[in-house]
Amino acid sequence: MPVYRIRHSTLYRHGTAAAMAWQSLRLQPRREANQECLEFELELNPRPADLSVRTDYFGNTQHVFTVRAVHREFSIQAHSLVRREEPARPAPNPALSVAATSDAIDREVLQGDFALEQYRHPSPLVPSFPAVESLTDAVDSALPLLEWMDAFGAVFSRSFGFDTTATLVSTPLEEVLRLRRGVCQDFAHLYIAGARSLGLAAAYVSGYLLTQPPPGQPRFVGADAMHAWVSVHVPGTGWVDYDPTNRCFAGSGHLVVARGRDYGDVSPTRGVFNGGGAQTLYLGVTVEPEEVTAP
Amino acid sequence: MIPPPASFSSPLLRGYRGLAGRHDEAVAADGTVRPAWQEFTRSLGDDPLATLRAAGDAARRAIVEQDVSLNLYSAESSDSIAWPLDVVPLLLGGEDWNRLSAGLRQRARLFNLLLQDLYGPQRMLRQGLLPAALGMANPHFLRACAGLGKSRQPFLHTYAADVARSPDGRWWVLQDRLDAPSGLGYALQNRTIVRQVLPGAFHHAPVSRLYRFIRDFRESLDVLQAQGESSRLVLLTPGPANESYYEHAYLARYLGCPLVEGGDLTTRDRQVFLRTVGGLRQVGVILRRLDSEFCDPLELDPRSLLGVPGLVHAAQSGRVAIANQLGGRALESTALLSFLPTLCEHLLDEELLLPSAATWWGGQVSARDYILDHLGELVIKPTFSGASAPATVYAGGLDAGQREALAARIAADPAAFCGQERVLLGTTPAWDPEAASLRPTPFVARLYLSANEGEFQVMPGGLGRFNLSGEDAMVSLQSGSVSKDVWVLSSQHNDDPPAHFAAGASERRHGAATPSRLADNLFWLGRYLERTSQVTRLLAKLHPLLRDEIAVLDPGVAEDTVAFILRLQDLHQPVSGSLDERADFVRRIAGDRTRPGSLAANLLRLARTLETAKVRLPPEAWRVARQLRQLSQGTPDFTEVQTQLSQLDGLAAETMVHDTGWRFLDLGRRIERAVHILQLIRALLERPTRDPDPTEFRLQTCLHLADSLFTYRASFSGAFHPASVMAWMLAEPENPRGLRFQAERITEHLAALPDELAPRPVELLRTTVFRLLSSVRLADMQTLASTPEQASELWNDQLALLADLSDRLTQIYFAHTEPSENGAG
Repeated sequence: MPVYRIRHSTLYRHGTAAAMAWQSLRLQPRREANQECLEFELELNPRPADLSVRTDYFGNTQHVFTVRAVHREFSIQAHSLVRREEPARPAPNPALSVAATSDAIDREVLQGDFALEQYRHPSPLVPSFPAVESLTDAVDSALPLLEWMDAFGAVFSRSFGFDTTATLVSTPLEEVLRLRRGVCQDFAHLYIAGARSLGLAAAYVSGYLLTQPPPGQPRFVGADAMHAWVSVHVPGTGWVDYDPTNRCFAGSGHLVVARGRDYGDVSPTRGVFNGGGAQTLYLGVTVEPEEVTAP
Repeated sequence: MIPPPASFSSPLLRGYRGLAGRHDEAVAADGTVRPAWQEFTRSLGDDPLATLRAAGDAARRAIVEQDVSLNLYSAESSDSIAWPLDVVPLLLGGEDWNRLSAGLRQRARLFNLLLQDLYGPQRMLRQGLLPAALGMANPHFLRACAGLGKSRQPFLHTYAADVARSPDGRWWVLQDRLDAPSGLGYALQNRTIVRQVLPGAFHHAPVSRLYRFIRDFRESLDVLQAQGESSRLVLLTPGPANESYYEHAYLARYLGCPLVEGGDLTTRDRQVFLRTVGGLRQVGVILRRLDSEFCDPLELDPRSLLGVPGLVHAAQSGRVAIANQLGGRALESTALLSFLPTLCEHLLDEELLLPSAATWWGGQVSARDYILDHLGELVIKPTFSGASAPATVYAGGLDAGQREALAARIAADPAAFCGQERVLLGTTPAWDPEAASLRPTPFVARLYLSANEGEFQVMPGGLGRFNLSGEDAMVSLQSGSVSKDVWVLSSQHNDDPPAHFAAGASERRHGAATPSRLADNLFWLGRYLERTSQVTRLLAKLHPLLRDEIAVLDPGVAEDTVAFILRLQDLHQPVSGSLDERADFVRRIAGDRTRPGSLAANLLRLARTLETAKVRLPPEAWRVARQLRQLSQGTPDFTEVQTQLSQLDGLAAETMVHDTGWRFLDLGRRIERAVHILQLIRALLERPTRDPDPTEFRLQTCLHLADSLFTYRASFSGAFHPASVMAWMLAEPENPRGLRFQAERITEHLAALPDELAPRPVELLRTTVFRLLSSVRLADMQTLASTPEQASELWNDQLALLADLSDRLTQIYFAHTEPSENGAG
């Protein structure tokens, strides 16, 4: 069972001194069926005056703190050790088309799984807009759901370019669709918009990929920063993660940090500063397999 | 009660008829005047029309005098209008009122339970009693606030409902207000005015008084305080730009609590503090008038500049109580109305007492079909309100093409729409100023409830509203409606309370508790007030100076004066033309608002600062602010400006409490005046050594411009000597327009300000002013008069000390640069 060591560093650099900062972090990898967070440590500089941990509405771990020292720079280092298994691939179910899935989710919601409903509607960063049809129309919605998921993912590798300079967090989704360029976050959001327009329940996942792939395998796109992919609810099975940027189902190398409706629900660092002027953000992520010694 | 005479007749209701198909409050369908209206009409005297007309005029005067206002938004500008009030009250009471109250109390209990559930265990969603989409697709359900429903405090502290009468006379709820209901302050203000202008009718009728409700309201807020905490109540407002800022200020004053904006508060370790000139003071309870979404940029809308970062976590920790708890808007959805009867039976085991207009939510297949089939009869509303929500529209009023387009939009996203039966609002008599008579007008009443130790109490009054055009469509204050007082007539007699009852006000305010931002605003109010009045006075004196026949003796004096006034208005480059042309130019730029230093710009700045410090100023000052705003348009009338400014002066000196806040105001004005004296001296008396002594005319003008000529003459007889003029302007302790006088006042104020916050910086601050005072006291005027370089150096030093003083003051008392608490990282 592979174990990974993750080091995620964030540095805020301010134009002028900031007198105070309020921060919220979602950096601790989730505990899930195929994943366990063995260690997690935060190294914050300057040291916060208070630090509290809570679980958010989506079950993510959130760290909240304030910094009261006057500072020009603020650094956040998160160290985690995560054990992750290859998730079992759900058995293909030819009867479960996209349309049938939507009906099945309706029933699940009525039977009490109401939270699924929030993944079927527009969310702040994934509005609904008619042009998304141009993406979903390219795929036969009569396909069984799992095949549809991969076929829909292929749309992105086929006609979108990975480009870290084309978009910002604030670029509207319709603009990304027009540009046909963007980063993993944009593809995840577009994928979610398409899936939701067909009545599916689709969620946003933030996490990490292995920095260096196992020998003989190509290096993943998005491995040197935080990565994003999607999760689609498959009735009878549960959530199945899919990575549209790399056109693959998520495997043992996809380490999950947080889940939500879109990026806004899982943003790894969110801060409010008192003073500080313009700020620059520096990020660095490394993910290495850990040699595990037998107990 | 005496049975109504068969032929009740009053000139007031002669010719008054209800509208077809609607219930009227005064006259029944068969034409009989209802008893309450018979009584009311009689109580207006022999000539009720004249009584009402006079009362209307008196109310308008009172509104102008007290500057009751409402801010209106338009595309690019905002403006405020005088509060629209119709003195004819809405008369309610009897069994009808009791039934309505019981229905409202039930509704408040129901909504409180629903919110506690939505932000807690979410059983209603799980059981499908609340459709999943109404919670999960609801943009106003704030996930960061999940868990707040588990707290022991009521989620819904203040509940307001907009109610109207249906054609059969039953009450309907049009809209529930669950987040930060507005209008309570306006309702109190309306009562104060109407009882003043209709004293006969008010005292004749058994009108329920509001003070008990307000006292309980205030007490219920104190009860919310977390146990064992000794902290305070604040009212959180979005600020002066908000439409109902007036009522926030009014309510804060009525309740005796500080009115604060997000910037006044800070959080640390999941506690909330008020920044004051004496340091941080813990806040126990926040009465909130800021919409939930804007309350915390860290957890809610990150674009909000009005909130308090960390507030959600403080609320989650239970270390601060917020009324209402954050997130209530989630259940203001129109769609919810169709599920309330079932929810009520399930949660309260009671039948829902107050109906809403029949509502269909497009998210349900059968309801969607009903909406599309009956489109022409329905009002179509968005399921969730918000900036991107579709507008409310009466589909019956659309042409075929528009209706088709609407049907297509509904079919494409049915869950985003609700259909509601069209409501014919009941009417009540309202004063028609043009016809000088009463006419039936559809109305909506906003009624208020507050939770007090587990029970909801209904305020026996409220805010009535109607549309001047007489249409029912949408009665909102923003779209030009008029308000009314609501009289609840009750057989239980109430004692008259003291005129202005403020429950918590008996506790004396601690000076150090003055909020920093308020102190900052008052300080700048003092500075702008002084600066504006200096510029105005100089401009007013310029014309006579140019016409002064003796001026030819020393033409340089007028030149220097013109240059000085230009510099004061931030114009440093030389201006060409004759002296008269330049003087004209000086007066012209005074009216140029775009020039930051112009008189007009200063007036505007002064008006704005006045508005931000409104809450601590007497109501007369609010009116001055409005006048100043008007004066700042175009070249101001100097005499009128002076009149307004001296009124402010008088208010500041005689009407304001001389507390810590006032000291900051006076500090601002003393510092500004000291700066001005020195600048004026430099402008007129600074000279190279070899130049001859200033002429007598120059000395005299300098005194005149510094408003010291009259006092100088009273104390000195005969000629003007440079040394004695300087002594009078700088060193004389008895000249209220001299530098020493200012320095002494500054010294007194600084000695009285709190120093526990930062003892060492405060000490340095006091040293600065001590140096200023000594330099004034010890200066030898004979030497200064004869050695100009030495004089220049002294004036420069003194100006530098004053600038330093202002900076230090800002850092210590307003900016709150947080001292580093953890030096080692």
